Amino acid sequence: MYTTYMKKPLVHIQNFGLTIGDKQIVKELDFDVFPGEVFALLGSNGSGKTSTIRSLLGIYQPTAGTLHINGAPLTPEVASMVGYLPEERGLYTRSKVLDTMVYFGELKGMTREAAREFSLDFLKRVELEDKATVKVKKLSGGQQQKIQLGVAIMGDPKLLILDEPTKGLDPVNRRLLLDIVDELQQKGTAVIYITHLMEEVERLADRLLILKDGKARAYGTVAAVKKEFKSSSIEDIFVKIYKEKSHEVSHV
Amino acid sequence: MSKLRSVIRHEYLTIVKQPSFWIVMIAIPLAIAVVGLFVYFGNQSSEDHIKEVTDNLRNVSIVDESGLINKDVVAASGLTLSPGRDTTTLREQVRTGEKDALVVFPTTLKQERKYAIYLSSNDLTQIGSVTSLANSLLKTSLFLPLGSPEIITLAQVGASGDVTVFKDGAPSGGFNDYIAPGIFLILFYIIFAFSISFMLTSVSEEKENRSMEMVLTYVKPRTLIVGKLLAVTFVTITQVAFFGALALIALLIFKQFGGEIALPLGLDLTKMTLDPMVIFLSASYLIVGFLMFAGLMTATAAAAPSAKEANNFSSVFFIGAFLPFYFITMLATDPENPIVQFLTFFPLTAPVVTLVRNTVGNLGMLEGWLALITMTLFMFASIWIAVRAFKLGALEFSQTIKLSKLFKK
Repeated sequence: MYTTYMKKPLVHIQNFGLTIGDKQIVKELDFDVFPGEVFALLGSNGSGKTSTIRSLLGIYQPTAGTLHINGAPLTPEVASMVGYLPEERGLYTRSKVLDTMVYFGELKGMTREAAREFSLDFLKRVELEDKATVKVKKLSGGQQQKIQLGVAIMGDPKLLILDEPTKGLDPVNRRLLLDIVDELQQKGTAVIYITHLMEEVERLADRLLILKDGKARAYGTVAAVKKEFKSSSIEDIFVKIYKEKSHEVSHV
Repeated sequence: MSKLRSVIRHEYLTIVKQPSFWIVMIAIPLAIAVVGLFVYFGNQSSEDHIKEVTDNLRNVSIVDESGLINKDVVAASGLTLSPGRDTTTLREQVRTGEKDALVVFPTTLKQERKYAIYLSSNDLTQIGSVTSLANSLLKTSLFLPLGSPEIITLAQVGASGDVTVFKDGAPSGGFNDYIAPGIFLILFYIIFAFSISFMLTSVSEEKENRSMEMVLTYVKPRTLIVGKLLAVTFVTITQVAFFGALALIALLIFKQFGGEIALPLGLDLTKMTLDPMVIFLSASYLIVGFLMFAGLMTATAAAAPSAKEANNFSSVFFIGAFLPFYFITMLATDPENPIVQFLTFFPLTAPVVTLVRNTVGNLGMLEGWLALITMTLFMFASIWIAVRAFKLGALEFSQTIKLSKLFKK
């Protein structure tokens, strides 16, 4: 479990604000993510979770504040330290499985050989080694999700961002994914885990942040947040926050 | 740099590995070859039929009431002149099929310039042959008093002009000046027809299959766009090389069988004029035009939420590229016309118009450079718009990015 509070944060977000067009998506957001922890980023649809991640990854330009990974804003040049499984995810359906994985590996800064070796090992692990030369569009939805996960964890990322990773997965594949997350955490990878499934938060997360209308409403270790809200269930806390008209951040 | 290389390789291989890419590449020259063979054998067969009909034109009677037809000319054709009083009988024989045809030159021929032909069937070849025979008899009879056969032939057929055009005080290549810049015009249309839409497909596909966000995590939008542009450029080079190789093979096979290719307007590839400035300008218009349209295609694909909508929007650019052909005569003959001037500098029509005008040689040096500078500015603008639309629209999956939003800070 989480024991790294005193470490230097891998992700440091301070006073972050994002406005797109006339709409303010995120306001004055602060949080840290430490190496080796699973950090749950929670909130209903439109609360600003995905926009925060896109800003952290340099896809969106923040209108205020700083978003640092390993002490600096992320640029594509050093993006190899990040694995990202977005909510809106997909693969090149007309390309072959191995070609697709190798391409993403190269984009992450791996050599072709290293990307190929990793891909073949991963396909073997998830029992898709016979699909290496099959076009992605020929795979089932679950098989494609396994490949997407493989792409996300290529190159041993220091930070893994998973946006609703178990959406649409059957129990077997869900277990496989959670095992992989466990393994990476053991190796010291920081995981930002976005989900609507509170039982996954209870099982995996060391700390959490609940966003509502682009503002942090609860932030801290799972146990501390429960204590602060006098509840034994994250789901109850989530519902309580969303039923309230406004609530100041509870930073534990 | 290595990421750019990866993008180029991925985009290039994604396109050229598609079976549909090669099917189109092979189907088009194949269709041209099949149509060519049909036309060739069709003509061959028609020529044989015409010869057969002409050879059988013995059962034709000629009646001359005008007094203009020379009996020796008729005799030289293997026929004889029949007297005018036999006209009714001969016409009846044609009607019943005893005779193939009857030609009657009436007394009013000089005034009305009309003669009558009666035929036993509606065979088009026979109609053509008898008409041609009648005309030939009339013309040769009329020209006969001129004297020698050479003069008669000259009077009948006319002569062709051997054109020498002076440019800047020295003889130029005439129509052969058109060949080199004309090749760039053809290349532009090959690129437009086959390659430019790959930019649209490539971006639309990444949006539709939702791989865009994963890609943008690791690659800057500018790198991605430049990579795609270069990949499409290499695809175009592949296509041109493939078509060029096919054309060369076809030419060699054709020559092997003793065939000769007659180009229109008396063009002669061996006399192709290579003016460095004309070639430089044409090449520049081609490259700048390609990049401008590619940028606009990228912007359209990035701004539209789906490939279908992107395709609908992109039709505007296709209209721009083909519109100048409605004004082709004006472009070639009336360069000072305000419409021509407008089309020369209007972004969507400028590439084709400058290529056409540079081909026919009516684009002045100053005008040519001004057009190139203007097009280059449009090209940078279109790439800027593409990057901007890409940043705003690459991850917008449900609605089209408004034009006003593109220019908002």
